[in-house]
Amino acid sequence: MSIALRGVGKQFGEFAAVGNIDLDVPTGALIALLGPSGCGKTTLLRIIAGLETPDEGQVLFDGRDATSWPIRDRNVGFVFQHYALFRHMSVFENVAFGLKVKPRRERPSAAEITKKVQSLLELVQLGWAGDRFPAQLSGGQRQRVALARALAVGPDVLLLDEPFGALDSQVRHELRRWLRRLHDELHFTSIFVTHDQQEAIEVADTIVVLNRGRIEQFGVPSEVYDLPTSAFVHRFLGQVNELPVRLRDGRAFIGPIDISSSTDVSATAPDSIALVRPHEIEIGAEASGWPAVVAAVRVIGPIVRLELCAEGRPAHEPLEAEISRERFQYVGYSVGQKVGVRFRRWQVYPANGAAA
Amino acid sequence: MAHAEPPLRRPPGERARPPVQPGRVLLIAAAMLFLGLFLLLPLLAVFTQALAKGVSAYLAAISDPMAWAAIKLTLWVAAIAVPFNLVFGVAAAWAIAKFEFRGKSTLITLIDLPFAVSPVIAGLMFILLFGAHGWFGGYLREHHIKVVFAVPGIVLATIFVTFPFIARELIPVMQAQGKDDEETALSLGATGWQTFWRVTLPNIRWGLLYGVLLCNARAMGEFGAVSVVSGHIRGLTNTMPLHVEILYNEYNYTAAFAVASLLALLALLTLAGKSFLEWRQPELRRAGSHAQGAGGNARGAGVGNARDRTVREKS
Repeated sequence: MSIALRGVGKQFGEFAAVGNIDLDVPTGALIALLGPSGCGKTTLLRIIAGLETPDEGQVLFDGRDATSWPIRDRNVGFVFQHYALFRHMSVFENVAFGLKVKPRRERPSAAEITKKVQSLLELVQLGWAGDRFPAQLSGGQRQRVALARALAVGPDVLLLDEPFGALDSQVRHELRRWLRRLHDELHFTSIFVTHDQQEAIEVADTIVVLNRGRIEQFGVPSEVYDLPTSAFVHRFLGQVNELPVRLRDGRAFIGPIDISSSTDVSATAPDSIALVRPHEIEIGAEASGWPAVVAAVRVIGPIVRLELCAEGRPAHEPLEAEISRERFQYVGYSVGQKVGVRFRRWQVYPANGAAA
Repeated sequence: MAHAEPPLRRPPGERARPPVQPGRVLLIAAAMLFLGLFLLLPLLAVFTQALAKGVSAYLAAISDPMAWAAIKLTLWVAAIAVPFNLVFGVAAAWAIAKFEFRGKSTLITLIDLPFAVSPVIAGLMFILLFGAHGWFGGYLREHHIKVVFAVPGIVLATIFVTFPFIARELIPVMQAQGKDDEETALSLGATGWQTFWRVTLPNIRWGLLYGVLLCNARAMGEFGAVSVVSGHIRGLTNTMPLHVEILYNEYNYTAAFAVASLLALLALLTLAGKSFLEWRQPELRRAGSHAQGAGGNARGAGVGNARDRTVREKS
């Protein structure tokens, strides 16, 4: 089922949760709504589910206006961050719930329900857990039960609200991959909400970055990561170093580095900033770039993070650079060493946001 | 629980003893003394006085027709007031815990009103409304409906006084549970009615039962408000507490305390029911093997709850 939002807006009292949202989700897509807390991503998901009614705009399901459909008629599966398993029911009963509440004419027979539930539990690798109670399961297992329960009614759309937010990183990583596989096997349309950019990039086909109730950017993960259209998106998707851009004699500089050759100087506002990701910093001999001193070295698995105090910058705002472990072992930087910094890539934004 | 020895289950009743601390002993002793003096002793006195002239006198006092009428009326009043407040309490708690609406804080304040107002004033309110010279007095007289100095008045007063018990018990429970369960049920295709019976009600059942118990105890024991509206007509509008007072004022101590002992017995039963519920409440005991292991050592509901929480967080 394809989903479309047309000019959707929602106020909570004085607070505009989302405003004027247009979004197209094609059938079978796996989309991430990404943004900081309070950006309206959950509200948007709840509007799609029918748990909130928008104040303005339309929600279209396969082109039909579904704005006023109650949630039970939308055929959506909804998964909450905290699982919302029915604690007084066994795992089996939880998964069977959606089948058992069907009107008598549509309700499958008890034997069919048992079969269906068991196969769903197998699908989420919990075939053994049918007569357990939610309290006896770990967080990751509970979330898989919640997914099986949502899938039991054969939804056209799966909506997940921070589904892995309450899990520890190992389990989260496993479940992400598992959700991706499940989605590829079952071909429903999925939308999930997250504040974790890595999760969005790892799982989704398309990322929708939200900020203050509006869509900042929409695109495939690599595009959003590499070509952010605003400083907000740039900052939100991964680490950045923020550096002031100075204009002098018709030329533009980051520190002492002349960037005029690759920057449209005439279009650059005087108080612009350049954003540089840590892996876009190149470290060389002292004379080869912006002189800096290595202030800290931290080895994090396959990468090494260096803090560099560049000349002319306050000491409490070191540049963060990341190099590969191999390169680090080859060159071997140590604290106090003098180096030269160059930038492989950067992007210039006016101080108030949008891309230059 | 740090076990150095193999994890054998300790026999029930045997616990790791903490070292004796004088401050702690003093505090516990003071609390026990206070309880004994002000709660246990009077209770004991009621039963002693009731049985002072022997069991036959006790039974005779209870089986007196007037006493029986009072007992029956009390049971009737409770049987009407409690279900009424049950429905109201669930509805109010549901509305307050699960929805945002204008006037919500006013509703919460209003629910507490019967707790804040003296029961005597509550009784007087009904006299003002339904009494012979009250607002609706004329209308009621024309239609030959008796409210004040009759059973309807007693029921109304009792409902008013016991209004907050169930709602107050349920609001925090429902607020803590949030709306996720209900929204999930709806998304799975359940109707509102199915959601209520299959999801909401099971989630609140212990809190609800507890509220009903407290509500019932108060409904049967209410004196002030009922006293004002009842008119004290023997055999007709006398509830048990009122009957006790009348007997006492007639210097019929044995009978007074006999009926009082029934009320006290009811209170004890309520307390027993309440502690049973508190013991039952950590439902994970039934479900969780962890919790079952903990059950042997931790009987107290508070400890049980804390355990369950850690189990939940650990998993």
